[in-house]
Amino acid sequence: MPDRSHPLPDIVYLDHGATSWPKPDVVVDTVVRTMIEAGGNPGRSAHRIAMAASRAIVEARSAVATLLGVPDSRNVIFTSGSTAGLNLAIKGLLVPGDRVVVTSMEHNAVVRPLNLLATRGVIVDVVRADAAGRVDPDDVEAAVAAAPTRAVICQHASNVSGTIQPVGDLADIAHAAGALLIVDGSQGAGHLHVDLSALGADVYACSGHKALLGPQGVGILYLAEGVEPEELIQGGSGGRSEEPTQPRLRPDRYEAGTLNTPGIAGLGAAVRLLAEQGAEVRAAEVRLARRLHEGLLAIRGMRVLGPPPGEERVPIVSAVHDRIEPDRIAFELDRAYGVAVRAGLHCAPWAHETLGTLETGAVRFGVGWGVTESDVDRALEAVAEVCG
Amino acid sequence: MSEVERRLYRVYGFESTHDALTAEAVLRDAGVATTVMPTPRELGELCGIALRVAVEAAEDAEMAMRARAVVWRATMELLDR
Repeated sequence: MPDRSHPLPDIVYLDHGATSWPKPDVVVDTVVRTMIEAGGNPGRSAHRIAMAASRAIVEARSAVATLLGVPDSRNVIFTSGSTAGLNLAIKGLLVPGDRVVVTSMEHNAVVRPLNLLATRGVIVDVVRADAAGRVDPDDVEAAVAAAPTRAVICQHASNVSGTIQPVGDLADIAHAAGALLIVDGSQGAGHLHVDLSALGADVYACSGHKALLGPQGVGILYLAEGVEPEELIQGGSGGRSEEPTQPRLRPDRYEAGTLNTPGIAGLGAAVRLLAEQGAEVRAAEVRLARRLHEGLLAIRGMRVLGPPPGEERVPIVSAVHDRIEPDRIAFELDRAYGVAVRAGLHCAPWAHETLGTLETGAVRFGVGWGVTESDVDRALEAVAEVCG
Repeated sequence: MSEVERRLYRVYGFESTHDALTAEAVLRDAGVATTVMPTPRELGELCGIALRVAVEAAEDAEMAMRARAVVWRATMELLDR
């Protein structure tokens, strides 16, 4: 098992928007134990070490399905991350001539695949969010009504402003027009209670390593019944080996090749922990994000992006200062104070353009599992000194 | 190899590993003893993992799998140790 005699570095980690750190002990232990005890190739051989791997995958899939409200766990596909899931859904569902309505808050995980597809004849229409990053369902409805639409694509919550989007309303709008709703849930799952049996999303892609607390290199793609993107990768699936074509059954169709068993098992351990403690974790995140938000606003010259304090958001708080550049703030926070944050455009130039920060970028503080009130206060004191 | 009593088993083949392992969990919950084995070629083009149940327990096994909507694609009987 991991040697706990190695202490974690003494830093205030507020980069949970990028990835959660540190991971719960049970996640680290499960990854290591899986490599030792379940190191066979899942879904291939029937010997005990391979079966242990296969069982780890099935148990993790079941745990994820339970946490996200998916009745049939075969509709949960394991990917390498949100980006892989979104690429599979976008490129596997859209064909030349299709039209897609997308919001101006999307991450490059959506923007770049769409940009490529636009060169191949997919029509991409963008609905602009307001200055706090909110998408108005009426604007989406008008855009969908303007021409036949294959899909609406929207994030669950912004990785820049923390703004939560009205995805339930967008699902109704999309479905009324015969379109699919594809949701980028990278900043949703874990930070928000997600019940996919009620949300209405036809596709929901999320990371395993952010607020779901799993290891990096694992993601989740939910596909509703009847939504059948063409798979991007063909290959061994452990079954029907005589057939030259990829089996159509789930999850095998979308999981060709050897899965990341230790990572998936670690994610399974993480979501089982969240199933027990998720409500408590989310309540702490909301409280600490509010404290951070109000503390940043109290620093002279600081502007916080996104909704005002008190309006619901995921625990991401990005800010710009009227004199000090975001990259300078982030550098000083790390170098002199041991506070880890992220500056720049956060792989989301569309969102920064919408929020008015494309030229400057912003410094992003992300709260998550394990962050304490004293961490937030230490960060705020450091920011006040850097910007003083 | 020493003489060992041979028993009659029913072997269940599944479309996917997911289905096979779901069936294994269902049978475990139902108290039906089962063993995982490589899928015999005679069962056809299926996933590589099959479940073996003593033939006397097959009725209980099938009842448990049906109750949980677990689908098996093929069966065969096998005399084995």
